[in-house]
Amino acid sequence: MKGAEVISKLSTILNGEELIVSSNGNVSRQVYHLLQGDQIYLRGSMGLPVSIGLGLALAQPNRTVLVITGDGNFLMGLSAMTTVAHVQPTNLKIIIIDNELYATTGGQDTVSSTIDYITMIQGMGIDTARSFNMSDDEILISEMLKDTILEPGLNVLHLKVEEDTIVLDNIPHHPTKIKDNFMSRFS
Amino acid sequence: MIMIDSADFLSYLSDNDFTFSTGVPCSYFRNLLLALEKDDRFTYLPATREDEAIGIATGYFLGGGRTFLIMQNSGLANIGDAITSLTQLYKIPLLIFVSYRGLEPDKDFPEHSIMGDVTKPVLDAYQIPYWVIKETNWKVVLDNALEVMEELSKPVCILVKKGVLSE
Repeated sequence: MKGAEVISKLSTILNGEELIVSSNGNVSRQVYHLLQGDQIYLRGSMGLPVSIGLGLALAQPNRTVLVITGDGNFLMGLSAMTTVAHVQPTNLKIIIIDNELYATTGGQDTVSSTIDYITMIQGMGIDTARSFNMSDDEILISEMLKDTILEPGLNVLHLKVEEDTIVLDNIPHHPTKIKDNFMSRFS
Repeated sequence: MIMIDSADFLSYLSDNDFTFSTGVPCSYFRNLLLALEKDDRFTYLPATREDEAIGIATGYFLGGGRTFLIMQNSGLANIGDAITSLTQLYKIPLLIFVSYRGLEPDKDFPEHSIMGDVTKPVLDAYQIPYWVIKETNWKVVLDNALEVMEELSKPVCILVKKGVLSE
């Protein structure tokens, strides 16, 4: 299964009230085009989606906050996960879409292939981390996504995926418009 | 030398609707951080890096809250991308307290000297408005800084020299 297909699957699981932070590059484009709602589509700030999600989860404790990040982005901001583990925000869910590539910049390797994500994330103090290797078992992937979003508590799901073959269009909004659209959800 | 009283300083921030803070410590903020961690009006979250703190503060703002940040000026080097491609781009208002290391009191600490020399040019390059506070004028300066922060919806920086908030 490809990254964009995983993100598409989320559309049948989300209720539209979730607050989503997506990592810059292809992941944000996929979240913009494939999921509903005005979300926080990051354009730059590589490495920061987890920390932005943490701040958002603290400010909005009654809403589910979902961070969707690629592996290169996740690894750049890895230490933010230790802060997340320290805080244990129960409304924060993190999905790592891992294609082992810097796909947006042309498919250069990340170091992701050597990492045991479960051991690493559990070692930080997040017991609920799950990891799943690339597969086409659509029912199992849907169940894992559902559990990650709907089960109470801080949940982290690491998914190995195949490289996407289609690059979606750029997000048409200026970042200030992205921000204004997102914040108008609270008014 | 008379220092700013940490209790007065925190009351000012509380009166201005700040309830949340994050950052990375500097000894110049030792007294303030000790008071902050004990103060029920605030949650202080220690970040592992200064750019992470900018990310947390940005998320907190997007969720409707207000954050002040604390960091050493060495952290200005770590926040370059977070400032330019996140907070300046999306127009995120933040109040950032930065210790002004590398001046005369740090003459025996060469690790701070170059960042001390380039602190103001770096802030200018990031297009961040900044002020240096003293014991005698801090409330007026902060009033002005908060007004600019709101009006421009962008980060502003307060430079804090040795002895102003902690020995």
